[in-house]
Amino acid sequence: MSQKIGVFVCHCGINIASTVDVKVLVDYAKTLDGVVVSKDYKYMCSDVGANLIKDSIKKHKLDGVVIACCSPRMHEHTFRGVVESGGVNAFNLEIANIREQCSWAHVDKIKATEKAKALVRGAVSKAKLLEPLATSKIKVTHAALVIGGGIAGIQSALDLAEEGNKVYLVEKNPSIGGRMAQLDKTFPTLDCSGCILTPKMMEVANHPNIELLTYSEVVGVEGSIGNYTVRVRKKARFVNLDKCTGCGDCMEACRMKGHVTSEFDEGIGKRSAIYMPFPQAIPLKCVIDKDSCLMLTRGKCGAGPLCVDACEANAIDFKQKDKEIELNVGAIVVATGYDLLDPDRLFEYGYQVSDDVITTMQMERLISTSGPTAGEILCPSNGEKPKSITYILCVGSRDENECTWCCRIGCMSSLKHVYLLKEKLGDDVEINICYTDIRSYGKGYEEFYRKIRGMNTNFFRGRPSEVRKMGDNLTIDLFDTTTNKLFEIKTDLVVLVPALVPRADADELSRTLRISQSSDGFLLEAHPKLRPMDTFTGGIFIAGCCQAPKDIQDSVAQASGAAARAANILSKKELESEPLISCVEEELCSGCSTCISVCAYNAIELKQEKDGKTHAKVNEALCMGCGACVASCPSGAMQQRGFKDKQIRPMIEETI
Amino acid sequence: MSIIDLTSMGESQTEIRREINERLTKLQDEISDYCYQCAKCTSGCEAHKLLELEPHKIVALLKRGLIDEMVNSDIIWTCMSCFKCRERCPQKVAPVEILFALKNMAVASGKQIPGNYTVWLQSVLSTGLLQDVKSVSTSDNKTKTRSDLGLPEISKPLDPSKFQTMLSKLAVEKV
Amino acid sequence: MKKYALYPGCVMPTEQYAYEISIREILPKLDVELVDIKGFSCCGEPIKSVNQMITLALSARNIALAEKEGLDLFSPCPICHLALTDCKRILDKDPEMNQRVNNFLNDEDLNYNGTSEILSILDLLHDTIGVEKIKEKVKKPFKDLKTAVHYGCHLIRPSEVGRPDDSENPQKIENILKAIGAKPEYYSEKLDCCGALLNANLPESALTKTGQKLKSVQEQGFNVFIDTCPWCHRQYDSKQQKAGETVAAKLDIPVVYLTQLIGVSFGIPMDKLGFDLNLSPVDKLKLGGK
Repeated sequence: MSQKIGVFVCHCGINIASTVDVKVLVDYAKTLDGVVVSKDYKYMCSDVGANLIKDSIKKHKLDGVVIACCSPRMHEHTFRGVVESGGVNAFNLEIANIREQCSWAHVDKIKATEKAKALVRGAVSKAKLLEPLATSKIKVTHAALVIGGGIAGIQSALDLAEEGNKVYLVEKNPSIGGRMAQLDKTFPTLDCSGCILTPKMMEVANHPNIELLTYSEVVGVEGSIGNYTVRVRKKARFVNLDKCTGCGDCMEACRMKGHVTSEFDEGIGKRSAIYMPFPQAIPLKCVIDKDSCLMLTRGKCGAGPLCVDACEANAIDFKQKDKEIELNVGAIVVATGYDLLDPDRLFEYGYQVSDDVITTMQMERLISTSGPTAGEILCPSNGEKPKSITYILCVGSRDENECTWCCRIGCMSSLKHVYLLKEKLGDDVEINICYTDIRSYGKGYEEFYRKIRGMNTNFFRGRPSEVRKMGDNLTIDLFDTTTNKLFEIKTDLVVLVPALVPRADADELSRTLRISQSSDGFLLEAHPKLRPMDTFTGGIFIAGCCQAPKDIQDSVAQASGAAARAANILSKKELESEPLISCVEEELCSGCSTCISVCAYNAIELKQEKDGKTHAKVNEALCMGCGACVASCPSGAMQQRGFKDKQIRPMIEETI
Repeated sequence: MSIIDLTSMGESQTEIRREINERLTKLQDEISDYCYQCAKCTSGCEAHKLLELEPHKIVALLKRGLIDEMVNSDIIWTCMSCFKCRERCPQKVAPVEILFALKNMAVASGKQIPGNYTVWLQSVLSTGLLQDVKSVSTSDNKTKTRSDLGLPEISKPLDPSKFQTMLSKLAVEKV
Repeated sequence: MKKYALYPGCVMPTEQYAYEISIREILPKLDVELVDIKGFSCCGEPIKSVNQMITLALSARNIALAEKEGLDLFSPCPICHLALTDCKRILDKDPEMNQRVNNFLNDEDLNYNGTSEILSILDLLHDTIGVEKIKEKVKKPFKDLKTAVHYGCHLIRPSEVGRPDDSENPQKIENILKAIGAKPEYYSEKLDCCGALLNANLPESALTKTGQKLKSVQEQGFNVFIDTCPWCHRQYDSKQQKAGETVAAKLDIPVVYLTQLIGVSFGIPMDKLGFDLNLSPVDKLKLGGK
């Protein structure tokens, strides 16, 4: 409870002063009960302003401060620091927003000044009732969790590890590397993707601070910023990692060799049931796919499992089970990547009708030397070299019926393919690009586009309506708006450039982590411009395509950014917790548990006292101060510090 | 301030464009503004190869407000309402419905209605149906009528004069 | 017994009699009773180009007539079905339009209330009666009948207003055909238009569309071409010869209504299914038994 309040009115240059008569306001404040001093200054948030406040506190022995200025979202944090260093508790401060909610919203100077008076009056009445609060300290666990071992996850993990933090890198596939491992070359430099990726993968494997948990998934998260407890399920590989040498004899011997669809080859290649994810896998160990292994699904594999016979290291162990472990971390970076839209959503493009209609990722696998055709470009239907290849861009992108967004990488990927295909098949191969716009926005991208234009590429500006299979050919009718002519394109291979979509398990992951998704299903950033790696949940950051489609360089940049954001937390011994959280007035609480049912952070529990009565108790470390429990409480027992009913009511009465 | 199409010396007919967009919204179709000229509609238009109809161009001209040149053209009457354009448009624009609006406008402005539409309209007015019952030839060259085939009497408006009154009022009604 | 008001449209009851005959023949065997209502008129869809308000009012009055009898409508012609369905969609959603159109209907003492559902041939056969029930009634399943299915345009598009089957990969007719023993196969022109609505002002062009599609279907070796729309059937069957002349091809392929083919599989004699009215060479099918 404050008895001596100081009111400080800011001009904010002309932002406030041109509409609100600050001198009148200062004089008015002096007349309010409890106010002992009232001053004004041009820029209260400056050093001069800060000193003005601090001096006034000392001189008049103030115990409460009201600052009439801009929105608390701007400088409340700063001003709390100022009053604290002046000797007043940081939470005996009330801000009256006379800018966004007054001077910026009105033009009539007289009425605006009256309104400002009302706002100050209300603020003073609340300030009289504010209680000093202490922030509590939260000890920080100096470890980080990175979910996702693609290039973004790898980058974040390395950055955090280099800072000296312990990092757990959890990857659900048997190897790290993500999408980059599937690519042949990257645009616009045409770097070999594997060559630039594998050194980073090796760094991760060898870094003393990084604990790599592959073939593992995050199944539960408890706690809050600085202290998360994460449950991770380590899936059974059925291969003993200490014994496996990665020789690959098992997969050559496997009875299912050539029968299981390979996910790494995007469905156009085959693998065995026991397999090495790809030649540069980290860890370089095999894994058994339990859904296609005969031993694991039927209990027997012919006369005996051939992999066991072939394995000299005796590393196969069918008795392995999934294991669940618990990790304690202070911050989490989510870098779980993307999926491609299923092209069957646009059935008219013939993906189901012909084997020779493929996606860009499948073409990457054909181009790649580690792919199903050892880098030879062959039509899936007949194994022959195509003489004509046609790309259809924006399949499901910029589409009100499918994905409304642009995939950002489709144009550049297609241009890259033109270069690589001409390299492999010769300059004469006919490559047609059916585009709506060519988005070559990045550094070096436009120059690359020019290069491809100069390579005898057929650019058609128009979108086909269908891809038809007529006999052996694929036929596409395409209206080209540059020449206003309809072209009939007979082609051997059609490559669809599908939209980028969130991973299928993004919904589940966001629920587990309690972070939000935007309406397109990607993970939601706290602010699209100024906080692109933060989420609304403290301590959890996002990077790479799981937030929104982007190319490799933007993913890496965002990943390093997310690591820096996480390091902000991990570099501190302790965090200060926000004290403006809920508290229970136990005499009023009947233990009805309504608050528990609305708490999104599991921060309230029912406590039983010795006399048998139950009441709610708030876990201050978990409470985020959202106020849902306060609103739901039928008896008014649940209150929010700094915004208690007994503080707000007089404020309302005084303001009106 | 003006924008003039130098080919036709026509100015943008913004009022009529607004009217057409309102009509589209009323029938819960998407307005033309969202079209980004990908030409997927024209690439798949059933009437394009044969009759040179370009649905994306119709939308573009509507966006520019150059409506008279379309209303006065023959091309708008080549659409066979296959609905492929509306089905496949990534921005939910419906060139087929825009064409219906333009055709309705052409009729309302007193332009001559091409082909059999007048005959059909007359028939509906007098009999309630597009055409009256016909005798048909069988594969072995016999002639059969509806009653020969044992089918019940055809259904027609019960009170032709009331029906005709309603139709005459509708004739001048705009969506 | 399910009861529906049969809404015949214009082309079926005035010239495409085989469709009506086969419908009236097979539906009672599938426990469906068709009620004939007096007072129907054209649905208005073919004159939508002239004035869409007329189309809305004509469709609304036909629905109102069925509502008066407390019956749902069965509309075998897909063009009528689209007109009626779209009219219902607009009048149910937009109270102002509803009021306007009902004002016109008052001239005939009719009122559209939105109480009747409107079923297409696929809604009835596939979704309501069900493929299983149709299969049960099959006495003479087909063998080796390579079938080309023509859905037409109005049965499956525009999907936005709700159509009985998927617009890009419709399979309901195939499901029924498989149940009666036919072998429907994919062909790339499956979703192409017959051109019928161009009969208003460009009949030659309509025949070109018809001929082009049939020519390709014939070249791909199909035994029979199946349709469910009187306008389409008039093009492909009644005008097959003319269509062939227009595209300079000898067209010689049997074109049969789905309901006629179902009837044959049920063991119903062909003369009870209107086969003498098909002008395409249906005897090539050797479907047997008169």
